[in-house]
Amino acid sequence: MQQAQFANSFPSIKDAAPASVSALRPALFARYGALSELRHDYPLVLVDEGQGATLLRPLSRIIDDILKAAAAPGADGEAMRQQVLKLEARIRRAVNGGRAGRLSALWRTAAAEMVKESGEAPFGPLDSNLDAARRHLDLDGEVIGCNAETPARVVTHAWKARQDAKARRFRKRVESLILRLSDILKSDHMKSHEAHGAEALASAMGRDVDGSIDFDALSGVLERARPEDRLPEDRVKRIRHALEALRCQPFFGPGRASQSCPKRPEPYNYTFTSVSDALNAHRARLPDVLEFTKAMTVAELEVDNKYRPELHDPVFARFDESDLTAEQMDLLPSALICLRDGVTVSAEIARAYEALACGLPITVLIQVDDLLGPTAPEPPRNSFGAGTTRLASMAMGLNNAFVFQAASAHLFRMCRALRRGMDYDGPALFCIYSGATPSVRGVAPYVLSAAATEARVFPNFTYDPAAGADLASRFDLSVNPQCEADWPEHVLDYEDREGQGCRERIAFSFADFAICDARYQRFCHAVPQDGWTPAMMPTAEHLAEPDEGNAIESSYVLGIDPENRLFRVVVDAKIVEAALRCNDAWRRLLELAGVNNSHALRLLAAERKAREAAERKAEAEPEPALAPEPAPAVAEAPPVAAEPADEGAADGVPWIETARCTTCNECTQVNSAMFRYNENMQAYIADPDAGTYRQLVEAAEGCQVSIIHPGQPRNPDEPNLAELIERAAPFA
Amino acid sequence: MTASMSQCLMQMVQTDYAISDYQSEIAPRWCSGCGDTAILTAMQRLCRDEQLPPEKTVSVSGIGCASRLPHYMNAYGFHGIHGRALPIAEGIKIRRPDLHVFVTMGDGDCCSIGAAHWLHAIRYNMNMTVLLHDNNVYGLTKKQASPTSPHGMKSNTTPFGATLNPLNPLTVTLGVSNVSFVAQAVDWIPDLLYQILRQAYHHKGLSFIRILQRCPNFMEHRFDDWVRDPSKMRILTHGDGLRLAPDLSRVYKNQETHDPLNMERALALAALEGEIPVGILYRNPNVPCYDELRAGERPNTPALVETVLNEEFDKVGIWPDGAAAQVGE
Ligand SMILES: Cc1ncc(C[n+]2csc(CCOP(=O)(O)OP(=O)(O)O)c2C)c(N)n1
Ligand code: SF4
Ligand code: SF4
Repeated sequence: MQQAQFANSFPSIKDAAPASVSALRPALFARYGALSELRHDYPLVLVDEGQGATLLRPLSRIIDDILKAAAAPGADGEAMRQQVLKLEARIRRAVNGGRAGRLSALWRTAAAEMVKESGEAPFGPLDSNLDAARRHLDLDGEVIGCNAETPARVVTHAWKARQDAKARRFRKRVESLILRLSDILKSDHMKSHEAHGAEALASAMGRDVDGSIDFDALSGVLERARPEDRLPEDRVKRIRHALEALRCQPFFGPGRASQSCPKRPEPYNYTFTSVSDALNAHRARLPDVLEFTKAMTVAELEVDNKYRPELHDPVFARFDESDLTAEQMDLLPSALICLRDGVTVSAEIARAYEALACGLPITVLIQVDDLLGPTAPEPPRNSFGAGTTRLASMAMGLNNAFVFQAASAHLFRMCRALRRGMDYDGPALFCIYSGATPSVRGVAPYVLSAAATEARVFPNFTYDPAAGADLASRFDLSVNPQCEADWPEHVLDYEDREGQGCRERIAFSFADFAICDARYQRFCHAVPQDGWTPAMMPTAEHLAEPDEGNAIESSYVLGIDPENRLFRVVVDAKIVEAALRCNDAWRRLLELAGVNNSHALRLLAAERKAREAAERKAEAEPEPALAPEPAPAVAEAPPVAAEPADEGAADGVPWIETARCTTCNECTQVNSAMFRYNENMQAYIADPDAGTYRQLVEAAEGCQVSIIHPGQPRNPDEPNLAELIERAAPFA
Repeated sequence: MTASMSQCLMQMVQTDYAISDYQSEIAPRWCSGCGDTAILTAMQRLCRDEQLPPEKTVSVSGIGCASRLPHYMNAYGFHGIHGRALPIAEGIKIRRPDLHVFVTMGDGDCCSIGAAHWLHAIRYNMNMTVLLHDNNVYGLTKKQASPTSPHGMKSNTTPFGATLNPLNPLTVTLGVSNVSFVAQAVDWIPDLLYQILRQAYHHKGLSFIRILQRCPNFMEHRFDDWVRDPSKMRILTHGDGLRLAPDLSRVYKNQETHDPLNMERALALAALEGEIPVGILYRNPNVPCYDELRAGERPNTPALVETVLNEEFDKVGIWPDGAAAQVGE
């Protein structure tokens, strides 16, 4: 929820008849009314493989990156910033309105529409600004909104990226084996009778030989010199067999070296919507897996000429699935099973746990659309708030499976965990709440799914068995709002009856989440301000101290109606009880994550007691004298830029306009003690007395840029001074 | 003992290059007063101030007096063939993007025999700094007219005076698609030459500097009017552009603030007659660079070259029956 920016739509208290409960929403939702106008994590771009390390990137962040690179800072870039942000809003509206497509295409359409609407000629300022910005668009991919399809789209995208990486690795290995095996066969063939035959020789020469060569004779000569060391027949057979199995493998699409295999089957499909189908497919494909794995092993031995029939034949004869190693399995694709709670039959969900438990290479998505469940028991479904929030927690008990739970709204923030889950070499479970609950009307799935996390109904977490041996390293609960608190608190701004702005910190609890749901609204009733009494207590406070004395009917959450009027929504004892259960589950998760661990808390309390006792003892002793205040540091005066003394030969001293020296070596060749170069290789007069006035004057005359000023002669006894002074005059 | 040890180590780690580290053992053989010396010095100054490791720096040239420059730089150098400095430099840059590439050309080198390469190098906009030493003449071959020789100039090939008006390397460069940096410097204001070179070095893309260079040997008085009369030099300044030291500012008072993104004004300045503009005429850091667009995924290290070669060799390595046993055992 933090991703969306604040929109100015305050709830207000006005005189009103008790609202119809069915249209109520939690008061904190007031800011997220027109989601299409707010910049948030959706639309989300499913970034194409190979474009940086990201799987997912929100449109808003992409736009920010582009603007940082393309728009000039300050007022100069303002026009471009405004235009590109408008473009972003337009794409967001289009995607929310159901338009699908790749980012580049959506951009093009939106930009064209904007230019058209502006009435500006093509290549005008708007057009060229949008075009300049688009050049910085360095990634592309499908753009999706937050809706009932999102969990499957995102997980499938991440799974595909992983399978593509696997396919590349697979092809690299298999192709190299194919090439090397075929080279062995080729070089053997070159020694054959056939390869030395007249026909083969003639075809090697081309058509234009017209009988001038007797190929039969040539063949006869060559045949006599033909090497005899052909490959043993059983080795040729074995290589041919392995080659065929590698070329015609049905797991991934063909690589370059196996494109031409005529018997090549269509690659297997690895995406399923039922566990039974996936398991059946797994079983049916097992012979192919074994055949292929055997061929790989044979090929690897053969290219190194290490296959020893007496040793290896019996091993391969009894090779079965129990011989498959994890590494061999990992070379092949893993299956993706997309299940949807409430749509998939519940027996299938149970089977998913079995499949995960036996360690098959599968990725399971369980999409949850309804968290609370019906208000009356409908076995086997959980009811009254118990919903399906425990699916992922249960899977953690399997120990060897990677478990991921997140709400749709937080998928981008959980992106790294998503990738880790895909890369995990073992079974993985992704449990994602879509926010598209049929019984909740008028709340966007993005907002509702974020609310589920806020209300601790569906916390985000990962359990990664590869991260370490202990729970602290495996279990991560950190991507949750205000992790240490029972319920996250937020600021609510509203107007009171007199139109004065008020501000209140309120907690967002299970009860807030529950009042969105039409089925649960019969357990609440809205009270306008006239009916507010001091006996009413916010549910979160009520839960914090479930004081027996408090009448349970007095527990309320703040709600708003479609006109943004504020009510207290008094909730029934059944909701309060469900909230308590939810809080309880959250606390246990916290303990798992090491927050407020009950064992640690007990130790800590004992520790604190001991320390306080020690401190009391120390207070009795005198304190050491305080060190004197350090004197304030003297502020360093900025160095005053020294105005260079007005140069000139006023005092008759010879000088060079050093900054204009072109390093031509002329003067330094006249007298290298008198004329020297500084650290920038520009000449200055190092020692006017190191030479004669004549040298100074000659250097001045030789200097191509006339920057040497000889000044007055220093030695009055130097011969021909009069003439030299005259020659020096133009350089004064 | 310990102290001096650690000092030694420090010195080994903190290389501190001085100008002399970029001077080769060969003393420049240019005629005395030749403007090429100022350009060489500016370049060595830049290397020193940017602390460019000599082994990461390469200067590439064609043929001519100017093109002797790589000999005088203690860094990698490629004294190429006439007119071909740019394609060689592009080849270096695309395979070794880690190197700092400088290109030195004379006006004959760049604007006549190498003209085609010049245009396409501008268009490719690869990351490098290009210096055109423009002395308006073929110096090395002893005075033939070049494309930039002034109309009427008498030379060995134009004994009755050059027939055509000269080509203006600045307007030509500014007219090429993807141009991203064009500046003009003169060798006789070395400080500005240095500053322009430095800005060029920091520019992402191909930076083209035309340097008016005096050839006292064959074009003795060609630039005298401007060398002697600083008011005929127009210094272009802008926010983060050239800074004139106070003593230079007193000499060169003719200054103009010019926005280097303003192409129209850049073209007008480039075509200026009578005065010589000095400074950055055009600069656009957002033009795409061919070397970035086509950058390889992996840097081409010797280790990588070896691995790739070995992989290729392994593909054709055939192990006849028994051979591996002999090799391996
Ligand atoms: C292919 C080829 N053609 C002609 C020459 C002869 N040649 C050598 S240098 C030169 C001109 C050099 O003039 P410029 O590039 O202006 O450099 P400067 O010597 O003036 O610095 C020519 C034509 C050559 N070396 N190679
Ligand atoms: S003669 Fe003039 S330009 Fe040449 S090095 Fe000496 S001072 Fe510098
Ligand atoms: S001929 Fe001209 S350009 Fe060549 S070195 Fe001599 S002065 Fe310099």
